[in-house]
Formats: sequence, C-alpha cells, structure tokens
Amino acid sequence: MRGPSTGIVYGGLKYQARCITDVKADVDHTSFLAGTLSLKEENEVHLIRLSPSGSELICDGLFYHPNEIWDLKSCPFDPRIFSTVFTSGETYGASVWKIPELYGQSNAPQPEQLVSLDEHSFKIKSNMLVSVLWWPSGKHDRLISIDEGNIFLWSLDSSNKVAKVISQESVGMLQNLSGGAWDPHDRNALAGICDSSLQFWDLRTMKKTTSIEQAHIRDVDYNPKKQHFLVTAEDVSGIQLWDLRRPKFPVKELPGHAHWTWAVRHNPEYEDLILSAGTDSTINLWSIRLPGNEGSSSESLFDSPTTLKDSLINSYTDYEDSVYGLAWSTREPLIFASLSYDGRVIVESVKSFIKRK
Amino acid sequence: MAEGVPPMDEKAKRTRDLLASFYSPDASAALGVGGGAGVSPRRIASPDSINSPFFDPEVYMSILVQKLNMEGLLQKHVEMAAEIKNLDTDLQMLVYENYNKFINATETIKRMKNNIVGMETNMEQLLVKITSVQSKSDLVNTSLFEKREHIEKLHRTRNLLRKVQLIYDLPTRLAKCIKVEAYADAVRYFIGAKPIFEAYGDSSFQDCKRASEEAIDLVIKNLQAKIYLDSEPIEARAEAVVLLKQLNFPVDNLKTKLLEKLEDYLLKFQDEYKDTGVSACNATESSDIGQLPDTVSVGDISKIIRAYLIIFPDSEKRLIELVQKLFNRRYGIIQQRIKERMTPADLLNMMRAIWEDVNVMDEILAEAALPAFSLEAARSIVQQYISTSFSYLLDEITDALGKSQQTQKEVVEECPYQNTLEASKKTIIQGSLDLLLDFRQLLDDNLELLAKLTDLIVDWVQEGFQGFFEKLNEQFLVLCGRGYIANPDSCQVDAVQMDKVQAGLVLVLAQLSVFIEQSAIPTITEEIAASFSGGGTRAYEHGPPFVPGEICRIFHSAGERFLLLYINMRTQKISVLLKKRFITPNWMKHKEPREVHMFVDLLLQELEAVGMEVKQILPQGLVRRHRHSDSLGSTTSSRSNPTREDKLTRTNTQRARSQFLESHLAKLFEQKMEIFTKVQHTQESVLSTIIKFCLKSLQEFVRLQTFNRSGFQQIHLDAEYLKNTLKEFVDDEAAIDFLLKEVVGAAHERCLDPIPLEAPILDRLISIKLSKSKEQSQTSP
Repeated sequence: MRGPSTGIVYGGLKYQARCITDVKADVDHTSFLAGTLSLKEENEVHLIRLSPSGSELICDGLFYHPNEIWDLKSCPFDPRIFSTVFTSGETYGASVWKIPELYGQSNAPQPEQLVSLDEHSFKIKSNMLVSVLWWPSGKHDRLISIDEGNIFLWSLDSSNKVAKVISQESVGMLQNLSGGAWDPHDRNALAGICDSSLQFWDLRTMKKTTSIEQAHIRDVDYNPKKQHFLVTAEDVSGIQLWDLRRPKFPVKELPGHAHWTWAVRHNPEYEDLILSAGTDSTINLWSIRLPGNEGSSSESLFDSPTTLKDSLINSYTDYEDSVYGLAWSTREPLIFASLSYDGRVIVESVKSFIKRK
Repeated sequence: MAEGVPPMDEKAKRTRDLLASFYSPDASAALGVGGGAGVSPRRIASPDSINSPFFDPEVYMSILVQKLNMEGLLQKHVEMAAEIKNLDTDLQMLVYENYNKFINATETIKRMKNNIVGMETNMEQLLVKITSVQSKSDLVNTSLFEKREHIEKLHRTRNLLRKVQLIYDLPTRLAKCIKVEAYADAVRYFIGAKPIFEAYGDSSFQDCKRASEEAIDLVIKNLQAKIYLDSEPIEARAEAVVLLKQLNFPVDNLKTKLLEKLEDYLLKFQDEYKDTGVSACNATESSDIGQLPDTVSVGDISKIIRAYLIIFPDSEKRLIELVQKLFNRRYGIIQQRIKERMTPADLLNMMRAIWEDVNVMDEILAEAALPAFSLEAARSIVQQYISTSFSYLLDEITDALGKSQQTQKEVVEECPYQNTLEASKKTIIQGSLDLLLDFRQLLDDNLELLAKLTDLIVDWVQEGFQGFFEKLNEQFLVLCGRGYIANPDSCQVDAVQMDKVQAGLVLVLAQLSVFIEQSAIPTITEEIAASFSGGGTRAYEHGPPFVPGEICRIFHSAGERFLLLYINMRTQKISVLLKKRFITPNWMKHKEPREVHMFVDLLLQELEAVGMEVKQILPQGLVRRHRHSDSLGSTTSSRSNPTREDKLTRTNTQRARSQFLESHLAKLFEQKMEIFTKVQHTQESVLSTIIKFCLKSLQEFVRLQTFNRSGFQQIHLDAEYLKNTLKEFVDDEAAIDFLLKEVVGAAHERCLDPIPLEAPILDRLISIKLSKSKEQSQTSP
C-alpha cells in the first residue's frame, strides 16, 4: 500500500505550519500558499510554485505576516489576494491581504492589508476565530468569516479596500463552531461544524436549514462535482460521506486514519478521489463510489474487507509529523500539496494511480 | 433454326395483327395489341418500318432512295416482290381454309335436326304406362286397410290386458321379493310398472298403486338401513345404492350425509390426536406423542374409506380431499410443535407414525398421491426444523450475551464479562455440536420418508450453518449498535442504542469472533465433514453450501473490527475528557501549578476500567520485555533525552528558531517511532494501543493551545506524573516516554515563556500526588 516516495519536498518553511492552500486563480502556474505558525518569531507566507518541468518547487514570494497563521485561504478569482486568520496571544484577527507587485525581487517585506475583518473583536468575549471562506466556484463578492460563536457574511470590495458586514448569526451559547464549508453549488448554503453536529445555514435568511448529527467532526468538504454530497472527517470514526437529502446516516464510511483524521478534500476534477490527512503522519488517497443513480445501498464501516481495501488506493507515509495542511491543485487536478507540522511541504502526483484504474 | 424462327414468328404476328385490325372496329385498339397505346408516336417517327399502320409509301421510298445505292435498291425490289408473292399465297390459303370449315359446320347442323324428330312420341307412351300402374296399387291398398286395422287393435288389447294382469300382481310379487330380500327384482318390477301407475294411478289402479308403493317404500327403507349398516358386506351396500338410485331416491343426499359423518369422525379423530399430542407434550412421556389414541385408528378410517369408495365410486375426489386435509392437519400440528423446539427423537416419532398411516392410506387411495404429498410435507418440516433449531441457537447466544448487560446492572459480579464470554463460547460450541448430533439422528433413522431426503438434509444443515454464522455476525453488529446494515429502517433505534452499548460487550464480541474463527469453525467443519459430507443434490455453482473459509474470514475481520471499535469507544470517551480539559481553562492566564491536575486521575480511572475489562476477556500476550530494549525507544531516550532536558533547562533567551532546527535535527536522527502498530488480541496490545492513542490525542490538543509559563509547567508536571503511573499499565515504556516527551515538546513549542519547573519542585509535587493516590487506593477497597 505504501507507494515509493515520489513527492517533491519544499523545505523553505522554517517554522511549524498548519495551512496550505491552492492558488486557484493562478492559471499560468501550479502554485500554493503556505503560512507558518510560530508563536514567537515573525511568521511568513510562502508563495510556492511548481516549476514547469514539474520536478521542483520554487519559492516565488516570501511575505512577512505579523502573527501566527491558523487559517489561510486564497481568493478564488484573484491570485494575488488571500485571507488569513491569525492569533497573537489571546487576540484573534482575520484579514484579507494583497500580494504587492514583485518587479523581479522575490522578497517583498509584507503584503498589503486590504481589509481587516475586525468585526469579531468587537464582541465582548474574544471568540476564537476559526476560518474565512471564499465562495469556491468563482467570482463572488461575498466572504464568510466564522468564529466560535458567530457567522459573519461580508461584502468585500477589494478595489476600495472596504468590507461591510451584511448579516450575522450567532450559534448559541451551547454550541461552538470549529470550521465550515461553503457549498460550491449553491452560494446561499453554508455548512458549519458544531460540537455535536454539522449545521447548515441559508445565508439569505441566516437560519439553520438542516443538520447532520455527528459529533467530533474535524473537517468538511463539499463534493465539487455532485451536489448534495459532502464528506466529513471525524476524530475517531474516520471519514464519512453524506447525502444531504438523507442526513440521517452516512452514505459510506471509510476507516480514516490510525489517529485523528484532520483534513479531507475532494479532488476538484475526479469526483471519486478523496484525500485525507491525519495526525498519524500519513496521507491517504481513497477512491469512493457514490451511490448515484443506481441502487443506493447504504454501505458502512462493516463492509467486507476487500471493498475497504479497494477504496484505499494509496497511503503516503513519508511524513515526520502530523499532517494538517492539504490542498489539491485546481490547475493540475492530479497534483496535491501537503503540509506537515514540521513545516515540510510535499507535492505529490496521483497520476500513476489514475492510470492504473 | 434460329434464323428460321423469327421470320415465322413475325409472319404469324403480322397475320394476327391484320386479322385483328380487320375484325376490330377501332384501328388504334388493334394497335394496342401490338405495342401499347403510347408507342404510336414512335411508330410515326420510324417511317422505314413497313408494317406500321402509319406507313407512308412516299416517305419510305424517299428514305430508301436516299439510303441505298442502285444495287441495294434492286435487291430490295427483289426482296419485296418475293414477299408480296408470299403474302398473296398466304391469303389464298386462308380463304380456302375458312371455306372448308364453313361447309363442315353446315353438314353437322343438318344431321342434328334429323335425330331429334323421333324422340317425342316415345316419351308420351312412357307417361301413359306409369299412370296405370299407380291407379292399380291404390286399389290394392284400400282393399287391405280394414283388415289390418283390426288386427292391430286386437294386438293392442292383448298387450294391455297382460300389463293389467302384471300390475294387479305387482304388490304380491313385491311382498314376495321383500320376504326373500330380492330387492333387485322388486325394484325391477316396480320400475316396469311405474309408467302405468303414472298414467292411470289416480283412477283404475289406485289400490294397486298404493299397495305397491307401500311395498317399495319398505324396500327403500330396507335398502337405506342396509347402506348405513357397517356390518353388511360392502358389495351388498353398493348394490343397494345402485337400486336406490334406480328408484330415483336422492342418493346424493345420502352420500353427503355419509361423508359428513365420515368427516365428523375424522375431525373427532384429529381432535383426539391433537389432544393427546398436547397432553403428551405436557406429560413427561413424550414417546407417546406419535401414537394414536386407542379409540380410533387409521385402520378403521381406511376401512371406512374403502367402503365408501366402493359404495360411491364418484366420491373419490371428495375422499381424497378429506384424507389430504387430515394429513395436512397432522403435518400442521408437527410444524406447530417444531416452533416450540423439540428433540429430534420426538420429531422422528411423529413422522414415523404419520408415515405408517400414510402407507395404510396409500393402499386404498393411491390417487391421493399421499407419499408424494408427505414427502413434500416432510421436506418443509425438516427444513423448518433445521432452521428453527439454528434460530434457537442464535437466540441462546444472544441471550447469553445480553444477560451480561442486565446482570451488570443488578449485581456487581467479580468479572461479569469473563462469565459472559465463557458462557457464550460454551453456548456456541456446545449448541452447534448438539445441533449436529440432532441432525445426525435424523439422518441415521431408517425412516423411508427421511431416507429420500438425506441429501437435502445434508445440504440444509450445511446451509444452515452458513446462514447461522452469517446471522450471528449480523447479530453481533446489532449488539454493538452497528447493526443498521441488517435493518436500515430501524437505524434510529440502533443509533440510540449505540450510546448504550457497553464497551466491554464489544470486547467480548471481538474475543468471541476470534474464538469462532479459531476453534468453533474448525470443530464444526470437522464434524460436518465426518457426518454430513455428500449432499449436493442441488447444483451449487459456487461449491458446497458451507464454506468455512469464508466464515473464518468474516469473523476474522469482524474480530479485528470489534477490537478497533472497542478501542475507538474507549478512546472517544477519553478524548472527550481531554478536550474538556484543554478547552475550558484560559491557558494564557493559568496559575502556577500546585498539584497534578484532576484530569490525570480521571484518565487513569478510565484506563483502569479498560484494564479491568481487558483482563477479564483477553488473553495475556507473550511477555515482551525484550521489546523495551530492541525497540527504538531506548535509543531515542538515550539520545534525545539529554538534548531535550538540556533544551528545557536553557533560558528562554535561547532563540526558538534554533530550537526548532535542533528538534528537527534530533528527529532526523531518531528513527520514526511506530506508534500505531497492528493491534493484537491480547491485554497488553489493546491497553497500550489505547494509551498511545490518548497520549497522541493529548499532544494534538496541546498543539492547538497557546500557553503561558504556568500552563506549560502544569502540562509538564502532568506529563511527568503520567510517565510514572502509566508504566503500571504497560511495559512499552519506550513508546510512552516518547509520546509524553512529544506532549511536553508540543507544550514547550506553544508556550510564550517556556521555563520548566525546577526539578525538586516537580519531584515533590509528583511524590505528593503518588502518596495521595496510594492512600486512596488503600482506603477505597
């Protein structure tokens, strides 16, 4: 199951890091953004580019970031805009940044801060900010920021450097939000990870629509090709695939990782490919067959062992530490980048597994 | 020849055309015969064709003159001259021929006229003669008529007189017949006289009719009595029925009445049978179940049926129905009894009794096809018996497993899970073997009925085991709350159950799965091979119905999965604990550590509980002290300990950057610690896996926080304490040391001001805690 280590390693990150994102809007290069997580040092955002030959990772830009980065997202329609969620000590903040024109030099000291999404800090309790979401399917001037207790919908005007809160919703005292995902098929649907469930909101009314009762969800990702389908990663129960039209029980379950499954991502092009990263220092590549038009038999963790083995295509084990960051490249859908806690970015290609099928 | 034919043809054609044109009034119609209407314009276009009706001699001449030279013209002239001569002769011949034919016709007509002249006179003579013959025959007829009528009258009177005599004699004759019981004669006489009675019974023969009817009534009564009398010979009864039928007596009523009587009789018989069956069931002497009560026996019934068959030959269908109903009920009783679980001996007794009866019946009513019917019934009975036996076994096992959950709530036993495990193990193996023994009994019995089913029984047993183990697996899944595959409808209920499922039970299931895979299946396979080989009458495309390999595989993976599920359930609990611990406090404002934090106690408690369960259920693994030395653990500790300690004791002036690189370097030299190894079904393996899991989770939780100095110190203290206490649970010190170091490392990284506690303080706090917990453990039991 263990493939030979074919990954291209980028060792440019000098500190520990959690976040990596694909620069979706960059149509000319396969590039990723990675942000470091260092408590005491000046943090950096690296723009990493895969060389045209595909054999090397080049640092195409290095920008200083004032605080340690807990969440990093690239703008889906402008390659030079990205958002971060950061902390310094007890305070949290979220900003949208613009990479300045480089004019040949590779080290720009600091990106231009377009907008600070600072509505969160006006709250009495300094809620822990968890993530900023862009609408994943193209140009949309809305932005969502999520903290532990609230969801904000922003209207972003990047040219005038203004962001306004359009609407806001509190989750309630008993629930803590820890992440979310924006439905690429419906720009009014948002999934938020709560303590004991996955909640869905309609952004027009800011009201809850449905929910999936499942505790300990770490990550959620919509299927970019198939509406109503999404995948969640849990601490213990592994990976589960859901059909939102039948939220009572999962469509399929995958065993996940030996320890927690931290992140899970659908391939942007091949809907049956799923990548998951875990704290057991591995990345697993899964092949799923969704019950589409044919019979919708609910399979589960207790499938016969052969099918389980079939669904796990490969396990990348060449990591020294837990892997938190995971991103498919939109430009080359068979390439993904991963980031382990020790700051190593590894870019791998899954081509060989696709051909074999 | 070929050259000769076309001119001849052409010639004939031309003649015909000419003739046609002569007889037909319309020239164009004649033309139609030759080439069709549409061709005429074309004919005009070719003026050189001499035969065309539109032939224009001048055009033709001019064409000829233009086309041909002198010589050609001359040749054409000669040709044409010859042709004209030919045509002339032809015409002449035609005329002669026609003339000849005309002469012939005239002659024929003349001859016919001559022949007809003499015929008319002959006809007239014939008519006269026939008329005279007819008048003479009429004369004879009238002269003889009177005499004949007289004779006929006399004859009729004589017949009537004879009949009257007979009828006057009838009553006495009938009485005589009754006296000698010659009912057949009586009936015959009576039927003979019947038309007369019908005609004149009201007037002249009134007395006579009454007397004879009385006599016949007597006859009927006697006959009826005879039919109901079982002691009469069957032939006599049959004859009586025939006679009654002749007398237009409603025999069908009689028949239905009789059959109803029979049916009542059978019902009574069945009821008694059922009563005895039930009573015997309640009574201890179960061997009597199959026996019939003494009052009625199938022999009697068979006799009755035989009689009826002869008496009413057309009632066979009804009788067959009755008999089949009877046996149907009896088989039904057995099927009901099967549901209440019975021994194979009982089943065999019942089957045998019925089979004997079936044989008796079959002699009489072969058309009822009772043996085939019984075979069918026996088939379903045996199949049902086998399947119910298996389902009982399944229930027993489930009970054995379920009991643990109840007993635990009521009485705190010493080691409830161990008892459950042992009980279930015993149930499985003993139950399976008992079942095999029972089925063996079925096979060994020499009952003819079952002998035919041997192969099928073998198949069923094998199939039964296959299905049984598959169902058992499903049952296990249901028991641990994962059973919604089997019944998706009730998933919600099961989902609720999931929370209630005891982790220990899951572990029991895991161990039970292993037991089934490793010992139960081989034993059963052996048994089956010994006594249930063969079979296979039904074509199995995929080999024999019982595939031990497949079952083993199912249970092997089930065992592993239950074990993982157990670990998951346990770690989930601990995870929640850890999560609460790390999310609740504000780590940036943490106060100086005064003692080891509470959560350590809770963690240890949980682990102790796990240890208790594990010790009850799982076997002890091999003592793996050596692992301590050969695993990477020792090397890591020897190498990285100093660096880490060193690092921790350094002042915070040290740059974090170099620290990071340093730890990086250290890691590079360390071998990668294999934390997540394959879990084995041993106490140590499970326990250490759970501990490793929790420590890893601890590390991850730490990484998500930012600590102040005191917070870091607290984590350090807790980790140090854990290091001491966790060793009591597992001997895989290396891994635990490594993971705890990782925890402290992570806290160190996430700390703004990482200054560790001074060693003496640390030691003191730990020893205080240790002694405290020792006190507790001494007082608590």
